[in-house]
Amino acid sequence: MNKHRHSIAFWAGVAIFLVAVLSMTQIVRNEYPFFAGYVILQFIALAVAWSILGGYAGYVNFGTNAFFGVGVYTAVGLFKATGAPLVVQIAAAAVIGMLLGFAVGLLTLRMRGIFFSIATIALAIIIETFVMNWRFVGGAAGIQLQRPPVMAPFDSYVKMLFFVQALLAVTAVAIARYIQNSRIGRGLQALRDDELAAECTGVPTLKLKLVACMISGALISAAGAPAAMYLQYADPSSAFNLSYSVSALAMALIGGTAHWIGPVLGAILLGSTQQLLAVTISSEVNVLVLGIMLVLFVVGAPKGIIGLLRPRYRLRAGGKP
Amino acid sequence: MKRRTFLGGAMAVAVVGQGSRALAQQPPIKIGMSMPQTGGLAGGGKASLLGIEIWRDDINAKGGLLGRKVELVVYDDKSSASETPAIYAKLVDVDKVDLLFAPYATVPTAPIMPFVKQRGLLLMGNFSFQVNSKVGHDMWFNNAPWGPADSWAASFLDLAQKAGGKNMALLTADQEFAQNLALTARDVAKQRNIPVVFDQSYPPNTVEFASIIRALKAAKPDIVYVASYPPDSAGILRAVNEIGIGDDVKIFGGGMVGLQFAAVMSNLGSLLNGVVNYNTWLPEPSMYFDGTKEFFEKYTKRAIEAKVDPLGYYLAPFGYAMGQMIEAAVGATKSLDQKGIAKYLRENEHKTIVGPIAFSADGERKETATLQAQFRGVKDKDIEQFRSSGKQVILFPDKLKTGNLIVPFEAARK
Repeated sequence: MNKHRHSIAFWAGVAIFLVAVLSMTQIVRNEYPFFAGYVILQFIALAVAWSILGGYAGYVNFGTNAFFGVGVYTAVGLFKATGAPLVVQIAAAAVIGMLLGFAVGLLTLRMRGIFFSIATIALAIIIETFVMNWRFVGGAAGIQLQRPPVMAPFDSYVKMLFFVQALLAVTAVAIARYIQNSRIGRGLQALRDDELAAECTGVPTLKLKLVACMISGALISAAGAPAAMYLQYADPSSAFNLSYSVSALAMALIGGTAHWIGPVLGAILLGSTQQLLAVTISSEVNVLVLGIMLVLFVVGAPKGIIGLLRPRYRLRAGGKP
Repeated sequence: MKRRTFLGGAMAVAVVGQGSRALAQQPPIKIGMSMPQTGGLAGGGKASLLGIEIWRDDINAKGGLLGRKVELVVYDDKSSASETPAIYAKLVDVDKVDLLFAPYATVPTAPIMPFVKQRGLLLMGNFSFQVNSKVGHDMWFNNAPWGPADSWAASFLDLAQKAGGKNMALLTADQEFAQNLALTARDVAKQRNIPVVFDQSYPPNTVEFASIIRALKAAKPDIVYVASYPPDSAGILRAVNEIGIGDDVKIFGGGMVGLQFAAVMSNLGSLLNGVVNYNTWLPEPSMYFDGTKEFFEKYTKRAIEAKVDPLGYYLAPFGYAMGQMIEAAVGATKSLDQKGIAKYLRENEHKTIVGPIAFSADGERKETATLQAQFRGVKDKDIEQFRSSGKQVILFPDKLKTGNLIVPFEAARK
């Protein structure tokens, strides 16, 4: 009963959020909030998707940039080859991201801890090198893209992208929420706490990790796909920038990884701060401010914002404190 | 005596006060831009910004533009393409700046080209390479001396062919700018029937070039065209120094990024001798125009405080020139109407501290003014030597030439 009520509240919240986003695109004329908002929404999707593997299963993935870049270049490749519309670009990116997640999972998920993290960094470097030598999508020189005309009811492409990214963020959150409350989520939590014990008690650990890796990969690649049209430009060093990995990880950690709301809060806090600092302090100092924020959270709130807000929560979904 | 000093001081304050009140009556003219102040392009970005700031201070000291003070609104884009769309949207929609300058380099500039085209805004380019070729924005003007896309490789191959070069080796970093250069070099070589006997790209962050240089040497090229980035430029020259490059090589260099910066140059020292490389401004007698000397006097003083490149030849004077062009266009059209300014910029030749600038239809220079210069008599560990003429002799363009190429490369290295 209680669970059912939570569900209704969640979906009502989602509906209100999407209606608010849509009406914002119709009412607000100044375009800057959409540019900045797009980036924040993108980070919400990335942080939530990252935490499915990194938070629930405790497998720290440094390859967010690899999946993100694959999303960007799937969109670029498709758009250049066939002029595919945005929806197709995103769907294709999700599929490729999922396949990549499967392949990467098979190869690397037998490794634990730091070894898994190192393997994911290597993945990003391998794919980036491949794209650099792929002349069709511009290679190392990058590629400029011309956006197709915008679709109704939007009057500018950025507003449309803002709405699309809101949809992607909501999808990521809904999936993360579903996983957290399902058998998969409980299995992942069990293997995070003690993989051997989980295996002994009948949790199919490799299968669960693979599923988590595929879903996480699909969501990250899908969130990356609209970036091609947002920037109207793609180059490997920007698309595979390590800052996507670091930001997604930092946002999830600052927010707290035990609950889906953690990465959302972390992404909103860190993403908005980044956007704000970029146009206020705007110098080396903004990197310093972010660094200090991270250190403070790691030292002062190892469980993230949700650890601070709801100490009782740890007992319910977080497993071991 | 004391009273007189006091009166004098009070009068000075009153006069200055009146002056600044006249300036303050109208809101300032805001020029907006992002600039890489952190990340890989920060070194260049900061030097470029200092050049623009010196122009701002000069113009404000002269009473501003149209009698209004000039104010710069600058944000850090972290050398990344993903930051600039939001920053330029903020500059235009929230800060309501009057004019836009582009950030230093191609990558951060590329995403804002479609934006300024859609909005019909003037954008003064800052050292990006062929960023407008596909977009076709008619209100884009690049301050860089590049000129037509193929002129870079063409000028180097001109020198090489005059020196008797018949075949070419190409060594290229797998990065945006270097790959663009290599592309045009291959085209020009094809047009001139120069066979490419060696064509190798290497991944960024390569540190060991010995095997690549050995393979290059084995191909026995006459012309070696290198398009590299700062860390690899140093690695390549060190490998050449250790292994040698063979007596066949007439000319070596062309597109090595990094050999324009004081820190890299003083670090490499005598290893630079003989290399023929591109540059934008050099302290050679032919490069001084109205105001150039004064600019560098100011720059040298302020560079210490701003902790930027102490020489500042590569970017800073072009940042200043960007301001000078706006100054001339706004002065002539007597308005901030961007279409009018663009028309003026397109139709006239502009006097700047880096020489006269005229634009072709795509917003790039009508004629290339990219220098090809040969390093001569460079000693180790001495930054100050690069302030005197003769250390980098200009071979191209002919108008600015200050010496002839020494061949072969091995002879020029001594």
